[in-house]
Amino acid sequence: MPPSTPSPTSALSPIAFPDVALPESARRLRAEVRAFVDEERARGTVLGRPDSWLAGWDPGFSRRLAERGWVGMALPTEYGGAGRGFLERYVVIEELLAAGAPVSAHWVSDRQAGPSVLQHGTEEQRRFFLPRIAAGRCFFSIGMSEKNSGSDLASVATRAERTADGWRLTGTKMWTGGAHVNDYAIVLARTDDTEDKHAGLSQFIVDLRAPGVRIEPIHLMSGEHRFNAVHLEGVDVPDGMLLGERGGGWQQVTGELAFERSGPERYLSTFPLLVSLLRELEHGSATAEQLTRVGILTARLLSIRRLSLGVAAALDAGHSPDTQAALVKDLGTRLEGALVDTVRGILPTPADPHATPGSHPELLAFALLHSPGYTLRGGTNEILRGIITRGLEQR
Amino acid sequence: MNTRTIDTGAPVISADAYDTAAFHAAADTIAVVANTTAPDAVSLPSEDASTAELLAAAREAGFRAVPAPLAETALVARPLLRRAGLPVPDGPLSYAIAPDLTIRYAHPAASAVGSAGSSGDDDTLRVTGTLRRVPWARTATAVVVLAAAPFGPALFTLTPGQAVLTPGGNLAEEPRDDLHLATLEIPASRVRRISPELLDEARLRAALARSALIAGAAGRCADLTVAHTTARTQFGRPLSRFQAVKQEEARLIEETALVRAAVEAAAVPLDTGGTAAHVAIAAAKTQASASAAEIARIAHQLHGAIGITRLSPLHLATTRLWSWRDEDGDETYWARRLARPLTATTLWPTLTTTP
Repeated sequence: MPPSTPSPTSALSPIAFPDVALPESARRLRAEVRAFVDEERARGTVLGRPDSWLAGWDPGFSRRLAERGWVGMALPTEYGGAGRGFLERYVVIEELLAAGAPVSAHWVSDRQAGPSVLQHGTEEQRRFFLPRIAAGRCFFSIGMSEKNSGSDLASVATRAERTADGWRLTGTKMWTGGAHVNDYAIVLARTDDTEDKHAGLSQFIVDLRAPGVRIEPIHLMSGEHRFNAVHLEGVDVPDGMLLGERGGGWQQVTGELAFERSGPERYLSTFPLLVSLLRELEHGSATAEQLTRVGILTARLLSIRRLSLGVAAALDAGHSPDTQAALVKDLGTRLEGALVDTVRGILPTPADPHATPGSHPELLAFALLHSPGYTLRGGTNEILRGIITRGLEQR
Repeated sequence: MNTRTIDTGAPVISADAYDTAAFHAAADTIAVVANTTAPDAVSLPSEDASTAELLAAAREAGFRAVPAPLAETALVARPLLRRAGLPVPDGPLSYAIAPDLTIRYAHPAASAVGSAGSSGDDDTLRVTGTLRRVPWARTATAVVVLAAAPFGPALFTLTPGQAVLTPGGNLAEEPRDDLHLATLEIPASRVRRISPELLDEARLRAALARSALIAGAAGRCADLTVAHTTARTQFGRPLSRFQAVKQEEARLIEETALVRAAVEAAAVPLDTGGTAAHVAIAAAKTQASASAAEIARIAHQLHGAIGITRLSPLHLATTRLWSWRDEDGDETYWARRLARPLTATTLWPTLTTTP
């Protein structure tokens, strides 16, 4: 058999991630965030709960965080941001998530709405929304999914019809997190009928308190009210609230996916449960088998964090590492779920939702009831794995 | 990266030579893959190469199943000799870390203070025992041994010719030879007193070198599998068009990327040392060893029958994965070392030690 052409491993783009180096400022920043978290813990707001970016809603915490300059921190100073780098933002959010801090109120504003308005918005939109976002006083939801459009997002049925001075939106958005408490939603709607279903979609900023918006709770299986169906019953949206270009919605949405899929929230959602386990194990002496399983989990967390930072570095450098981001999300969110089961196996504990809040059995119950969502939200993992193999074909 | 020919007399074997009979025959005589004009030869990194460059070279050696102790020489034996202040011999080198040996002074002091033989006129040693499963011992010009001597931890070198060699091999038939030492005298000029820290560094170096080799073999599994599922057609379409195949292939790519990232994350810490080195390398070897099973499983499953034969080069990678995951500490050993110091308070600071 003739030898094949040597292919240096470095050419394997989907498995080769950029080198990672955090800026020197990151060390000081990390220490500042830890001191802030300690203060908040003493205040009783940081409770070390899993999935705090979905379930930890505390606008007061968001505002105090914003006072430090840590909401919308990568936005330019002229729009009220802190003008910090993307990697510095990474340091702040990984510290908050690891501590189980309540970050869900400003989460979408900080991660998506801010960057999206900055990139696609008009100057007027920037001047209005960005300072409010950075002040922790303007909270966003995402209105993308619908009853019949989950992974197949381009099939959205919500329509925006032209009116004299704007648009009239009709349709129903599903799984809209926080719509009952937030101020605005970025809604993806069809503005034009086109042969290519990816064309003809546009994004709108919709005031969630506007006439014609009806918000209906969708309760999670735990009974929590986080999600909603947002019925848009002929909602009038002024021209100035079209976000980006008419017909550019698909490009705008998919351009954000690498940001949305590769961050620390894709592998740290259940990390507080591991901390709780170690606290429990400190009561006695851990067995060799327990140590082994903790070590294997820790090694995997470290390795996934490295990959996630690699995507952050690529994004910071202006690349679009969509394949790598999909890879991080699949690895990270599978770990989030596996961690729950592994922790249960390391220290057999019946999960108990009625145990003292913050106790190990209660945190275990909470993480477990949330666990099916980890590999669904932000793009179903089966679809993400398709993106990874497509990335191989394009090499 | 500069290259240097370290044994021009030795044949250069292409690691892409899939004729396994020739592969194993050559493995007996090969010294090290040298700097040649052969386009696919892996060159031994120069002495001043950075750790990151050495790890990249080791990964490449693992990718190509290079039949020579490249990683062992460049990442373990040479740096340890330099750290101990001993000359670095030419040619391929190997190592034995904390073997079970009986070591005495060859020249006990006439007026011994304390028990007999507890001090010596010089550090010349007399060594008895067996170095087990020494990588590539039969081809190494020297073996670096780190062991407990009467005066404390010692590093010394010996040449395999001084020992009785029982050949052995791992699952990939890479040489793993036993060296029997019968009251072998090691002159003081080849002995150095070392700190316990250097003994620990040796373990870390060996584990990281092995992890880099695993990352390379994992990359080979991914490459070969993608090539196979793209080329092989069944039911009128390439295997890679089947959703079930895509799902598994993506997991293979992910696991491969994970191992590679874990190894790269340890490059800087190895140089800086301390807790950061311990954490990063324990994590790298734990991850590399723990991922080997899944990587080999998926690669074989997607290759079908040809993968379990020597008609395909896949076995060059998978047999190495199954061997290397055990060598220089398996995932159980390193996971425990990683986990032992962790508490609820130190877990997160430990995870964020680097970068």
